Amino acid sequence: MSASTLSRSALSRTAIAAARRLLGMAVTLLVTSFLVFSSLYLAPGDPASFLVRGRSPGPQELAAIRQQYGFDDPFPLRYWHWLDGVLHGDFGRSYLFHQSVGEVLWSRLPATLLLIGVSALMIAVVGVGAGIVGALRRGTRTGSAVLLLVTVGAAVPSFVAAIVLRSVLGVNLGWFPTIGNGTGVLDRLHHVVLPAIALSVTFMALVTRVTSAAMLDEMRREHVEVALSRGLPRRTVIRRHVLRNALGPIVTVGGLLVSGMLVSTAIVETAFGMSGIGSLLIQSVDELDFQVVQAIVLLVVAAFVVVNALVDLVHPLIDPRVRAAGGAR
Amino acid sequence: MRPSPRSLLAAVTAAAALTTSACAGTAQQTGAAAYKLTSTTPAAAGDIDSFTWSLYGEPTSIDYAYSFDFPPNQILANVCESLLRWNPDLTTSPSLATSYSNPTPTTWVYQIRPGVHFHDGTVLSADDVVASLRRNLDPAVAGDWAYPFRNVQSIDKTGAMQVTVTLKTPDSTFNQYMAASPGTVESAATLAKDGKDYGNPADGVNCTGPFAFSSWTSGQSLVLKRFDDYWDPQLKAKAGQVKFVFLSDPTTRVNAFRTGEVDGGWMVPAGAYDQLRDTPAGTLYFGQNTTVADEVVNNLKGPLGDARVRQALLMAIDRKGIVKAGAAGVGEVADSLVTANNWNGAPPSTAADAAKALPAYPYDPAKAKALAAQAGVSGQKVVIATSPLDSQTTIITQAVAQAATAIGLKPEIDTVSADKYTALFTDPAARQGVDLFLTFWYTSITDPLDMYGSLQTGAFSNYGNWSDPKFDAAVDQAVGAYDPAAHAAATEAAQQIAMTQLPWLPLYTEPVSVFLGKRITGVQPSIAYLYYPWAAQIGAKG
Repeated sequence: MSASTLSRSALSRTAIAAARRLLGMAVTLLVTSFLVFSSLYLAPGDPASFLVRGRSPGPQELAAIRQQYGFDDPFPLRYWHWLDGVLHGDFGRSYLFHQSVGEVLWSRLPATLLLIGVSALMIAVVGVGAGIVGALRRGTRTGSAVLLLVTVGAAVPSFVAAIVLRSVLGVNLGWFPTIGNGTGVLDRLHHVVLPAIALSVTFMALVTRVTSAAMLDEMRREHVEVALSRGLPRRTVIRRHVLRNALGPIVTVGGLLVSGMLVSTAIVETAFGMSGIGSLLIQSVDELDFQVVQAIVLLVVAAFVVVNALVDLVHPLIDPRVRAAGGAR
Repeated sequence: MRPSPRSLLAAVTAAAALTTSACAGTAQQTGAAAYKLTSTTPAAAGDIDSFTWSLYGEPTSIDYAYSFDFPPNQILANVCESLLRWNPDLTTSPSLATSYSNPTPTTWVYQIRPGVHFHDGTVLSADDVVASLRRNLDPAVAGDWAYPFRNVQSIDKTGAMQVTVTLKTPDSTFNQYMAASPGTVESAATLAKDGKDYGNPADGVNCTGPFAFSSWTSGQSLVLKRFDDYWDPQLKAKAGQVKFVFLSDPTTRVNAFRTGEVDGGWMVPAGAYDQLRDTPAGTLYFGQNTTVADEVVNNLKGPLGDARVRQALLMAIDRKGIVKAGAAGVGEVADSLVTANNWNGAPPSTAADAAKALPAYPYDPAKAKALAAQAGVSGQKVVIATSPLDSQTTIITQAVAQAATAIGLKPEIDTVSADKYTALFTDPAARQGVDLFLTFWYTSITDPLDMYGSLQTGAFSNYGNWSDPKFDAAVDQAVGAYDPAAHAAATEAAQQIAMTQLPWLPLYTEPVSVFLGKRITGVQPSIAYLYYPWAAQIGAKG
């Protein structure tokens, strides 16, 4: 077997794996779309009665509404129309905002993405950093301090954090704005700091805990002990063997947390008067704005699927053992 | 007019986070005044570049056909104008119609004001009025204001600047509604051009008011800018710009007042009255309202089917206590389903008579218990629906449950989500098994008929399907009566029946509240803010 055939077969194996992966993602999304679509129509409440908002419409009026929104079409047809639209980037029209769902989402998405981005950064820097410190300084005063902070942090719900941050740093000290998204880069960042802390405080604690545990696991391993006993510098061993091997679980947990954030932003967004996907989801559910709810749920599922795929892709890069195992499969 | 379910919640939420405040004092009725009504705040010393105003929620559209709620209406009141104007003292006066006449009982003729410009520079014509009013009749539009148009036969241009509305039967309330959203005039060309997108965040509206729509950042804020070609010098805007921000959380809103990030807002959470009354950040004012908190009797087949039980229940509710604990003392026990303000249009003597003749239900648990015993409903269950919206709702619900116990009933409190609570007002299925639920009901015109009309047999908001032929006849007679005395007399007869039969139990009335930050002044506090260009009067504080 020549070197070129080997690489070719390896390539095709990778291609097949990638194709399988993509197909899996597509099937997941398709199944989700069906579940989302059907569950919302099974939910109690008639969208037509929402649309007339508390009036007693005449039969003619009601018929006009039902026809206009296609409520009378058979279910599979409605699903097909919707799916067809989604595949063409058309998520329908919001009953509530008299606007296309795309426009509604697009106006809310940037704020939420910024919030999640800043939160993710905080989780990565503070969470992982504290985890490393906690593992390396285990048993010392610093280590105990980290442990205490983790315990407290994990127990603080984001709405409590929001209230405290808002009243202390916002209202009393006046260091941060208490409402709105802000305009311009710096102002937006200024506005997003408190909400991001409120949103990520629990997640930071979780990541710190996972990081510490993974590091300690690795430090107990034989090769690390051997390396240290042979007199390799501790710093190098920690960086090249412990931290690198511990990154796997950290990335997995981190990825899940960040994609999960998309649904947990609602409370924080409301508390800080920000407009994002979270508060939009709550409002749309309350007002039976089906088209918007469907789009957001699909978006959240897609985010999960994509982040998971990314985590899987990143794993072999950071952990040679995974790469080797993948090649042998 | 019945408020949309959201408004009902809104009104409830407005008084969110209520606490039994120690220093709020007692309501006016009991002597020491805890609050005073203000008809106007100090006039503005001059113009101001811009101010920021808070809304408890984002409008879903500013199309006047769907503006049936506090957020869209308080914005639209400054942007779009109606044929008539509802003034802060709750009277009506000419606006886009310079005059109107009623040559026959079934025709209303409106003379349209010449020389009025739309925000895009075009000039107002009778065609714009016809196109705007007709939308309310269009089933495809399915607007929120079909009710005031229920007696309308046709709407036609009958002169270069004249529009005639022909009714199927005489309707004395129709003309009054022309001072609210139903009478809004929009450019016919814009309506045709924007179609379904009319009034949405991208397209906005094109009207004649002192402010023009500028921009709407969905979920965030809506900006209006001064319209320089506005026709009425009296109401030319003093601010160059108004920015409305949407803050649903009551605490967030109050914090924004305190930090000065927001300059003001209507519907201050009652729990924050004390915090905002005397603050360097600004001043809290109270004004005239047409809102009554009521307990709706939803089931007349249960123990509450007997009028004696409903009377007994009302007598056993400690309504003064509710005002004190639930509304921070700012409010008064209601003697009917409408406020005294609703009688402004009636001859003064008639209004006074109407108030005097009303049956009274003073707090008397012992007498109430005896009355309920006569009906033999002792031990029967009543379900009171509520939602954990805020402590005001909780306090009222507890008081009603206590009263039910006091007259021998077995109350059961059914706590539902806010979203399901909203559904009570629109969905009969959601109301199944519920005997009582709370509402805050306001009227959009200064006429008690707006309320009593909604209790006629078959009316949508007659939730308990209460039916009394004499009541229906009295309301019909009042709607058809143009003579103020005859109109008031028939309305009074209807009110008398409603207050004896108690299809709903009136609890208390509360004033409109408004907070003005230290930078601004000039507004006239009144429920008319839903239709009157109030923001135009706000300017810089001296």
